[in-house]
Amino acid sequence: MYFLVALAMTICFVLLWLFVKTKKPLHFEYGAIIFGAATAMWFIDCCFSAAGGEGFLGFEIPTDVWISLWTVGGGLVFYAAIVLGKYLIDKKKQAK
Amino acid sequence: MACFTVTTVAAIGVGVARHIVRHNEKKKDPTKVDPIKLDTMKVSKKLGILELALWGGSFILAGEHLIHGEVSFKFPWLTAVSEGPDAVKEMLTEMGTAGVGMLLIVVAGWGIGLLIRKLLLKRKAKLAKE
Repeated sequence: MYFLVALAMTICFVLLWLFVKTKKPLHFEYGAIIFGAATAMWFIDCCFSAAGGEGFLGFEIPTDVWISLWTVGGGLVFYAAIVLGKYLIDKKKQAK
Repeated sequence: MACFTVTTVAAIGVGVARHIVRHNEKKKDPTKVDPIKLDTMKVSKKLGILELALWGGSFILAGEHLIHGEVSFKFPWLTAVSEGPDAVKEMLTEMGTAGVGMLLIVVAGWGIGLLIRKLLLKRKAKLAKE
């Protein structure tokens, strides 16, 4: 289930990156990279699960719900931290 | 079980490599630019993209492992280590198969992304010539 959530987040960020232009640099490409990597990694995990006879996609409720929430929340926090860090570094460079 | 540790270690390695490359790039004369070279993106920036992908993926997967109870905040942090040699063997097998597979797919995705960028730049230059 969380694989699909990560995939949906990747698609959202790719669309934002391609079609939304903002005044402040929000670096949507960073979000696409973060969620894209998680999707790719979980794809491999799903392949190994399928090879082990557990099925490609698992739906364990409530564990999967918590992991899905973590995927969205944790990923967004990580993205925000990176963008904020870059913004502060650029500001510092400009001040110099 | 601990597949994300492979990508975490790789992220640290790429981070170190990026710092070394950036240090060497700063030493070079910035006025010397190859006019034939289309791709102006620095190698350190390219490595930075890979580092971001590895850290981001590892961070999200670490949370998943924490919720599954495969990782804990107490020493030895990996639950399998305290479960005995069979669990450790299973963990190492998973790291060698799924973990390495995860690392390879992220690196492959990064490589394909850079290749697409290069092809697009080539096409743009060709269209500009015409």
